[in-house]
Amino acid sequence: MQPVIRLEHIFKTYGSDETEVQALQDVNLIVETGEYCAIMGPSGSGKSTAMNVIGCLDRPTSGCYYLDGVDVAGLSDAELAHIRNRKLGFVFQQFHLLPQLSAMENVMLPMVYAGIPQNERKERAAAALTRVGLANRLNNRPNQLSGGQQQRVAIARAIVNRPVLLLADEPTGALDSHTTQEVLQIFAELNSSGITVVMVTHEPDVARQTRRIVWFRDGQVLHDHLTPDDLTQMTIAA
Amino acid sequence: MDIFESTKMAVKTLTANKLRSTLTMLGIIIGNASVITMVGVGQGAQRYASEQFESLGPNVLFIIPGSNESRNRTFDLPKTLTLEDAKAIAAQVPTVSAVAPQLQTQQPVTYSNKRTSSLIVGTTPEFLPVRDFEVARGRFFTDLDVQRNTQVVALGSDVAKNFFGDADPIGQQIRIKNISFQVIGVMESKGAFLGNNQDDAVYIPLSTMSSRITGNTSPYGTEVTFISVNARDEASVNAAEFQLNNLLRLRHKITTEDDFTVRTQKDALEIVGNVTGALTLMLAAIAAISLFVGGIGIMNIMLVSVRERTHEIGLRKAIGASQQDILVQFIIEAVILSAIGGVIGTVIGTSGIMLVSAVTPLKAGVSTTAIAVAVGVSGGIGLFFGVFPARQAAKLDPIVALRSA
Repeated sequence: MQPVIRLEHIFKTYGSDETEVQALQDVNLIVETGEYCAIMGPSGSGKSTAMNVIGCLDRPTSGCYYLDGVDVAGLSDAELAHIRNRKLGFVFQQFHLLPQLSAMENVMLPMVYAGIPQNERKERAAAALTRVGLANRLNNRPNQLSGGQQQRVAIARAIVNRPVLLLADEPTGALDSHTTQEVLQIFAELNSSGITVVMVTHEPDVARQTRRIVWFRDGQVLHDHLTPDDLTQMTIAA
Repeated sequence: MDIFESTKMAVKTLTANKLRSTLTMLGIIIGNASVITMVGVGQGAQRYASEQFESLGPNVLFIIPGSNESRNRTFDLPKTLTLEDAKAIAAQVPTVSAVAPQLQTQQPVTYSNKRTSSLIVGTTPEFLPVRDFEVARGRFFTDLDVQRNTQVVALGSDVAKNFFGDADPIGQQIRIKNISFQVIGVMESKGAFLGNNQDDAVYIPLSTMSSRITGNTSPYGTEVTFISVNARDEASVNAAEFQLNNLLRLRHKITTEDDFTVRTQKDALEIVGNVTGALTLMLAAIAAISLFVGGIGIMNIMLVSVRERTHEIGLRKAIGASQQDILVQFIIEAVILSAIGGVIGTVIGTSGIMLVSAVTPLKAGVSTTAIAVAVGVSGGIGLFFGVFPARQAAKLDPIVALRSA
C-alpha cells in the first residue's frame, strides 16, 4: 500500500541572496496510512513550513512529495486546490469558521467546492457533526458555540470530504485543558476508524497522546519515533 | 463550483452585513436614479417642445426679422417686416394659402377696477386659419374691421374669465393702454406655446394696433413683429420657403445678408432638437459621473472587504476553493450589489420622473430601454469595479491569509 505522505529530499528556501532563509533542508519523511503522528520542534525549526508543504499550501523549492501516491510537485494551483479539497482536511488553532454560516453550512462548504449535490451535502454534514458529538447544534452559528464546540465543527468540516489525511495545526492551542482532552479524544477516535492524522503541536502532553512523534530542528527531521521519555528530555533541552 | 452556488454564497455574505451592503449600494442607487431622471426629463423637454411645434401643423412657416447671424449678434432686431410684405406674399406667392401678420406687445388691460398685463396681438382675420385658433363665443374681427381701424377686441379665454367670470363679455367695453375697445368675441382655450400662455392675450385688428397702441416706428412701412404663413399643403412647404425668400429679398433689395429669416416647422424642430439634445446629453453626463463615482465606491468597499476577510479567503482556499472560485465569488458580490442598487435606483428615478410629469408640463417618459440600459450598466460597473478587488482576493496566499492576526 502507498504511504499517505512521502517526502524525499525536500528543500524550502525563502528570500534570495543575503536574506536567504533555509526553512527546510533535506527533509525525508514517510507517513503510512492509519498513522497518528505529531510534529514538534522549537519555533523556527521548520515544522510549520513542513506542514504547509504537506498540506499543499506551499511548494517545496526542490525535492519530491508524493501525497497518496501522487507527485504533487508539478501540479497547477487549480489542481492543488482540487487535491486540498478531496484528499486533505485542515484543522486550525483559530478554528476559522465563517461567522455568517451555521455549523451545518460551515461543514457543507468543502462539499460546495467539490460540487456535491445539496441533498447529499446536508446528509453528510449532519453525519459528520453527529460524529463529533454536535448532533444537537446543527443550526447554531459559531458565536453561539463554545471554543471546544467550534473546534469540533472545524473537525467535522475537515473530515466531511473523506480525506486521506487530516492535518491539524496546533488544534488545541486555543482551548483549555478540559476541552483539549475532548478534542484529542475525537482525533483518537477518527484515527482508530482509519483516518491518518498529522498534527503540529508544541505541547508535549498533546504529543504524547499520538502514536508517533517527529522532532524538527533547523529545517531537518532531527528525531523520529521519539518515546515519551525521549520527549521529556527533548523538551527540557529545548 | 457553479454560478448558482456562488450566487447563494454571495447573497449570504451580503445579507450578513446589511448596513455595509446598503451603503455600498447607495452610490449606485443615486447614480442610477439620477441617470434615469435626468434622461427622462431631457427627453420630456424634447418631446414637449416638439409637440408644441407639431401642434402648429406641418404647413406653417414663420417669417421673423433679422438673419440667423444678426440674431446672434444683438437682441435689438431691425424692424424690417411690414404689413406690405404680408400683403405682397398673399398676392404673389402661389404656394401660400393664407398669411397672418402679427404685431404684438405686452400692455396693461383693464375692465372696471380689474387690471392685467396681457399680450396684445394685432393681426388680420387670416390669423384664425393660419394658427388654427377658433372663436368660442361671438365673432373674430373681419377685414372690414381692419380697414376701418375699429376698436374691437377678441379676448383670450383666461382674460375673459379673469374680467367677466361666467358673465357674458360680448358688447362690454375694456381698455387697452387706456383706449376703449368693444369685446366682440372670446377665443377657444389654446394652452401655452413654448411657455407663453396664449389664453392670456387679447386680439385686435392689426391696423388699430399699429395706429393706436404701438405707433409705427418702422421706416419701411407698417411694422409687424412676425408673419405666419400657411403653405397650400405639406408638399409645398419647401417651394413656399424658396418663393418667400426670393420675394422678400427682392422687396428688401437684399444684396448681401438677409434681414429676415423664413423658418419652417422642420427648422424649428431641428433647433429645438439641437438645444434639448444638448441639454439631455449634459444631464446624462452629470448623472453618468455620479454612476461612475458609485462604481468607485463599490471598488473601495470591496477592497476593504477583501482585507477584512483574509481569514475567510485563506480558509476557503485551504478547503479547496481555487483562485477562480474566489474571483467569481467576489465579482458576483460586486455585481449583485450594483445590480440591486441599479434596480432600486431605477424605482427611485422612475418615481422622480412621475413627479416631474405631475408637477410640470414636461411629460417625461420612462422608457423600458432606458431602465434596461441603466440596470445593465450598473451591473457592468459592478463587474468592472469588482474585478480589481476580486483579483486581490483571489491572489491572496492562503498561508499568509490564515496566519494574519
